[in-house]
Amino acid sequence: MKNIQLITSLRYVLFGALALTTSAVQAEKIAITNATVYTVAEQGVLLQATVVIEGGKITAVYSKDDVPDSLNADTIIDAKGRILTPGFIATKNLLGLVEVGAVSATRDGSDKKADLTFDASLAFNPKSSLIPYARKGGITSNLVMPHGGEKVFTGQSFVVNLSGEFDSVIVSQNAVIVSLGSTRKGSRAVKLQTLSNELEDAQKSLAKAEKAKAKKKKSQGKDKEEKEAKTPSRAEQVMYALLSGEKPLLAYADRATDILALLKIKQKYNLDLILVGASDAVLVSEEIAKAKVTVMMSAIDNLPTSFDSLHTSLANVAILSKAGVTVIITNSGESHNINQLRFDAGVAIANGLAETTALAAITANVADSFNLNSGRIVVGKNADLVLWSSDPFEISTKVDAMWINGNAMSLTSRQDALRQRYTADTNMPRAYTK
Amino acid sequence: MPKKSLPRSFFNGKFTKKITDNKSMFTLLATSMLSLGLTACLPNEKQDAKVVINKNPYPSTYQALPAQSILLTNATILTGTGERLNDADILLVNGKVMQVGKDLLAGKAKVIDMTGKWITPGIIDVHSHLGVYPNPQVESHSDGNEMTSPNTSEVWAEHSVWPQDPAFEAARAGGVTTLQILPGSANLFGGRGVTLRNVPSVTMQGMKFAEAPYGLKMACGENPKRVYGSRKVLPSTRMGNVAGYRSAWLAATEYQRAWDKYDSDYSAGKNPKAPKRDLELDTLMGVLDGEILIHNHCYKAEEMAVMIDLGNEFNYHSGTFHHAIEAYKIADLLAANGNCAAMWPDWWGFKMEAFDMVEENVAIVDAVKNSCAVVHSDSSTTIQRLNQEAAKVMYRANEHGFALKEEDAIKWITANAAKSLGIDDEVGSLVVGKKADVVVWSTNPFSVYAQAEQVFIDGAKVYDRFDDKYQAKSDFLLGQTLDSYVDSDASKAANKASTEPVNSSVNNSVNKPASKPVTKPVTK
Repeated sequence: MKNIQLITSLRYVLFGALALTTSAVQAEKIAITNATVYTVAEQGVLLQATVVIEGGKITAVYSKDDVPDSLNADTIIDAKGRILTPGFIATKNLLGLVEVGAVSATRDGSDKKADLTFDASLAFNPKSSLIPYARKGGITSNLVMPHGGEKVFTGQSFVVNLSGEFDSVIVSQNAVIVSLGSTRKGSRAVKLQTLSNELEDAQKSLAKAEKAKAKKKKSQGKDKEEKEAKTPSRAEQVMYALLSGEKPLLAYADRATDILALLKIKQKYNLDLILVGASDAVLVSEEIAKAKVTVMMSAIDNLPTSFDSLHTSLANVAILSKAGVTVIITNSGESHNINQLRFDAGVAIANGLAETTALAAITANVADSFNLNSGRIVVGKNADLVLWSSDPFEISTKVDAMWINGNAMSLTSRQDALRQRYTADTNMPRAYTK
Repeated sequence: MPKKSLPRSFFNGKFTKKITDNKSMFTLLATSMLSLGLTACLPNEKQDAKVVINKNPYPSTYQALPAQSILLTNATILTGTGERLNDADILLVNGKVMQVGKDLLAGKAKVIDMTGKWITPGIIDVHSHLGVYPNPQVESHSDGNEMTSPNTSEVWAEHSVWPQDPAFEAARAGGVTTLQILPGSANLFGGRGVTLRNVPSVTMQGMKFAEAPYGLKMACGENPKRVYGSRKVLPSTRMGNVAGYRSAWLAATEYQRAWDKYDSDYSAGKNPKAPKRDLELDTLMGVLDGEILIHNHCYKAEEMAVMIDLGNEFNYHSGTFHHAIEAYKIADLLAANGNCAAMWPDWWGFKMEAFDMVEENVAIVDAVKNSCAVVHSDSSTTIQRLNQEAAKVMYRANEHGFALKEEDAIKWITANAAKSLGIDDEVGSLVVGKKADVVVWSTNPFSVYAQAEQVFIDGAKVYDRFDDKYQAKSDFLLGQTLDSYVDSDASKAANKASTEPVNSSVNNSVNKPASKPVTKPVTK
């Protein structure tokens, strides 16, 4: 068994580049039978259920009594009652944009020149050693949120799967990130004003453009110069996408006043707003719930790290959830330990959050917020699935199997190769143990 | 009171220099010799008053909170000595563990049924910056790294501790009863660390663990060379780091020799001139004298091996390696030399020296005979869940051939941590006569759902998850969530008390709890 693991880890880690040739592998038809299926959908939890995947998608979900006599699958996996969940979706990190935090040459998540058009997905590295390790936490896809530049609009997020293949990026430039709140230099008011003004300007120029368009239709485009002048800039196009609700606005804000100001802006411009951080959101939970705004927050950041965050608590996710707010549990640290997401969710459960809500907070809620075809075990969704040895939130539990787009994934990482080297029985220098 | 000398018996026998002296003993000796007539000395020399270094100028004023004798019954007890007792009792009397076992007699003690609960020793964190890098994380409070010289052995972390850091309360709610506060790792020698009891106090002295020796923070690797290299000051390389340590220990050796000579000359009845005091060298001499323990930020295998040799070169023990990411590569060497290794279960990748993490690091170190594996936090967040940090190691290791049990893993955050801090005679295990630092957990503490329900320090309850009376709140957070509107009852009271100044009267009346008691835990 150990040998097999070693070989697998070598193939996936040391010679990861070879995996390029496997990226086009057509997923076989797999049936996972006798599973406790957490659908995170209307069906809730199905006992002794069967999930069929084919062509990278979930093609059938059978409850105990509906399983057909013949499944006709290439592979049948008996889950033996174990829990099957959608793959978890991590958020708010730099996965694939950083290899070693303090080695600046390996960091691609920020740039002084970055503005709201910043597209860090171009820098994403699917061969990063962080990705196989992240999979050990049951994470199959991830919303990467680059730090971007120093302006209020810092850049745009993108979504990847954790297959480690070169086609990992699912969607780029899918949401606009703004950073509000306390600042070492100057006033937070300027940030809010900038956001507000830019939206107002964009709305005006959009209205103008539409007017001109209508006019042009009438006059059949006589004036060539005028036509060219009306082509919106790249930045304007992004702003228009915000105003049309095509792209969500991911807004970092902790203090309640900033959150309320954002809710107003959302209402005025009809934005698809998602709050990020939101340490003091509990002070305005009713307002957030009423505005139907999703909150992305850590489940374990419970200290008053700043004067914007005096009302943090391990119970905050539960409190917001009870108030009717949809919550996404974000990674608490940066990128190297995002596999801990499930433990953070476990801490939220220990502090009052319902288990099903905790699961949705790292699956379906993320998918809904960013229009991803994953996060639930429902026919037609991407076959991003995780089979757990037991309760997914427990420390004693591990991932027994994982599929991304229907492909079974390796669960070993560089860390396993190191452990095997230094626990191997050998008289030779360990450099010979590979 | 002089510091207790290092429990050198724990560290292995390679170290031959026997440490029995300290400066105050010389004073006594000198006095008694004087009274005997000092036959060996110059007869007519008049001695000036003996110069003695006060080794404890900021002494502990810690007092245990009020306590009554209690008997906790029918719990699963992890003693911290590698033992697990099912359905067992523990008797706490006069702040000490009086008895541990089955069906104990209560005597006058109050009996509390703990059926279904788990009991462990109080959690000890050997690496914390609470109070010196407190919350809120504002520049005004950033007091943990004296980044002005590669050797700042003269600074003491205790002089930076802000006892109102709300993270002390959060850590207490996670079962932490003792913690070492260290300076940061910017310098080769960062300064002295201090071990605290995790009790609410207005002063640092009120938290200070009286019997604990001081620690000296040293740092290997990337941090010192980055901080000083960028200023074109030694060190800018790892070899510069080691040159810096060696120069300092050379100076300290001279200093120690000068004081030893002064002491022996004085004892011999002479009237020697005392060496000039040097705060930096005082600390280093404390290490050479075995009174101060080394706590060395050192990630990498090859660097730890050099630090061990460095200790041998200058005749001190290289102590505990903190953040020892690569300890698993030299587990045998660490055990043979009697070094503790304090480790995270899985943090990695934030620096090059943290790249070779394995989740079984702690388990691999622990598996060697005479080892001392410790799980530490270095974080105001994870200090609240050191039980879960240890759990991660245990379960991941057991997936790869280890057979660790709860009674083994608990040692990493209790007994072994106490050993690292030189306080294992006092705390870290539930053994008769030790301080009654006890945590009652809602369930198996290695579960993600476990909550510390009650925490005792010296037999006194300092935290209760279900009783607001035992949930301390720092000055900083007090009054942050009060309602601004005066409710009608309060207005009436204000009108009635017309002779009182209105403000104070209103303030006194508005004593209802904050509208959103968000800092109170919600129970499952």
